[in-house]
Amino acid sequence: MAKLEILEFPDPRLRQVAKPVSEVTDELRQLVDDMFETMYAAPGVGLAATQINVHQRIVVIDVSEDQSEPLVFINPEIEVLEEEIHQYDEGCLSVPGFYETVERPRKVRVKALDRAGEAFAIEAEGLLAVCIQHEVDHLDGKLFVDYISPLKRNRIRSKLEKAQRQRA
Amino acid sequence: MKLDARGDVRALAAQVLASLLDGRGSLARLLPRAEERVDERDRALLRELCYGGARTAPRLQLLAGKLLRKPPADIEVEALILLGLYQLEYTRIPDHAAISATVNAARTLKLDRATGVINGVLRNAQRSREQLQRKLSGNPQFSSMHPAWLQQRIKAAWPDAAADIFRANNANPPMTLRVNGARVSRDDYLQQLKAANIAAQPCTISPVGITLAAACAVSELPGFAEGLVSVQDESAQLSALLLAPAAEDRVLDACAAPGGKSCHLLEQQPSVHLSALDIDEERLDRVAENLARIGCDAELICADAAESDAWWDGQPFDCILLDAPCSATGVIRRNPDIKLLRREEDIAELAQLQGRILRAMWQILKPGGKLLYATCSVLPAENSEVVAAFVAETEDASDNTPQLLGGEPWGKPQAAGIQLFPRPDGGDGFYYALLSKAE
Repeated sequence: MAKLEILEFPDPRLRQVAKPVSEVTDELRQLVDDMFETMYAAPGVGLAATQINVHQRIVVIDVSEDQSEPLVFINPEIEVLEEEIHQYDEGCLSVPGFYETVERPRKVRVKALDRAGEAFAIEAEGLLAVCIQHEVDHLDGKLFVDYISPLKRNRIRSKLEKAQRQRA
Repeated sequence: MKLDARGDVRALAAQVLASLLDGRGSLARLLPRAEERVDERDRALLRELCYGGARTAPRLQLLAGKLLRKPPADIEVEALILLGLYQLEYTRIPDHAAISATVNAARTLKLDRATGVINGVLRNAQRSREQLQRKLSGNPQFSSMHPAWLQQRIKAAWPDAAADIFRANNANPPMTLRVNGARVSRDDYLQQLKAANIAAQPCTISPVGITLAAACAVSELPGFAEGLVSVQDESAQLSALLLAPAAEDRVLDACAAPGGKSCHLLEQQPSVHLSALDIDEERLDRVAENLARIGCDAELICADAAESDAWWDGQPFDCILLDAPCSATGVIRRNPDIKLLRREEDIAELAQLQGRILRAMWQILKPGGKLLYATCSVLPAENSEVVAAFVAETEDASDNTPQLLGGEPWGKPQAAGIQLFPRPDGGDGFYYALLSKAE
């Protein structure tokens, strides 16, 4: 297992749209395990492959209290079940240290392949629904900061760029 | 996705401290963001945990090392352990409350797997703290509360003063004001403070300085919004005094943000033509705000001082104030995160940068002009060594730092310039060298 480096906003590679996975191989399962390790260490509750510079449609999530409910979504497709809007203060491993309120549909259904390559579908609400939508956005090259005002987004951008320069 | 720790003071403090341990940003940048995420009534505790945690981290890291079998894999877990130890050692929060709230903060941060370790370490610390402290008391990092490399550097440079420097760095700094001499005398302003029931004393070295007995909000200071006074450390107030530009001089403040020294120069000699330069646009806004408050004007330039081709109009300056980028090891009491953010290898890099900017500034100084080199560092490598080397290699440069201010000796004279140490009731650690350029 290996912990992977997480790309940080405004890295242009976070804007790349991920390609569907054609076959769930052992190699891909290894990548999924590394993604879990990276996510748990960060610590975070969700990670999309885009964030570790792998541009395939893979998401890992665990919103449980004790890391007991790892979920893998390969080629996830989201269907909105309730248009009613839910507000949540989101943070992102690729935008470290910043949190903003984002509005998303309250309830969704997700169809995807699991770690074994088997198709499955779940309905999600609450934190899980927020997290799935947040991660699938990553696969489409979108970030939660795209939902906030350009002024706030630019402030976050310049602060992160400065921190990145200081580390370089 | 990362979960928000909104509302949980200790979880937010742990995120701030973890970022410091990781070298991702300073308290000045991180704390305001965390403050927005807690209730008003929890802000004082958040601030104390962040500042206190940073100040005591070198000691608490040793303590944690003794209590842990292996270092925590996660930096937020390490931060939570340090914050737990801080609460046990330095706050009046009852032990059981400190421990349970810290363990809960781990849950907020989805670090449930670490709750056992955190709980165990803190309970263990509670039981064995005196024994551990005795064991560690001979360790200079423990007793000085400074990282080992910095403790060694300060001790080597100042064998006699080191203990006082460490003590001052670990104490709460006084709040010091600079009176705007163009508008009001120090004696008159002391009277105004007295009338407002604010206890205060005149500073000993700066003739325009006033030290308050206790910190207060600037909004409580008479005439603050109108620019009668500014908040500025006493040692920092000496720069305008030492540079002492004449009327109508062309003056450059080379690393001006946040603008305290620029303001002081204009208060002292309102007719100078001042250019205030800084590399950071956001921080240059602070200079503009400060100038506006005291009602003065300067030319603001956003540029790298050392790259004069890019911004200089070719007119040499009569006076240059070079408050050079430095390790800030003289202002640790105000910025305790310096203990975590600075690395030993930074010092040589900073010394190089300081020498480079000094040489560049000399090129744009008029013959017969003067340059004041200043840092808020207590390390000779950034101070007397930089200046002595520069004077030795530069034919038209000489060290002219006055040994007396207001007829009194000040600071500790060096091979070049004068070093000030941080003093518990006085100014910050600073270094000044006044250099003259031959006609």
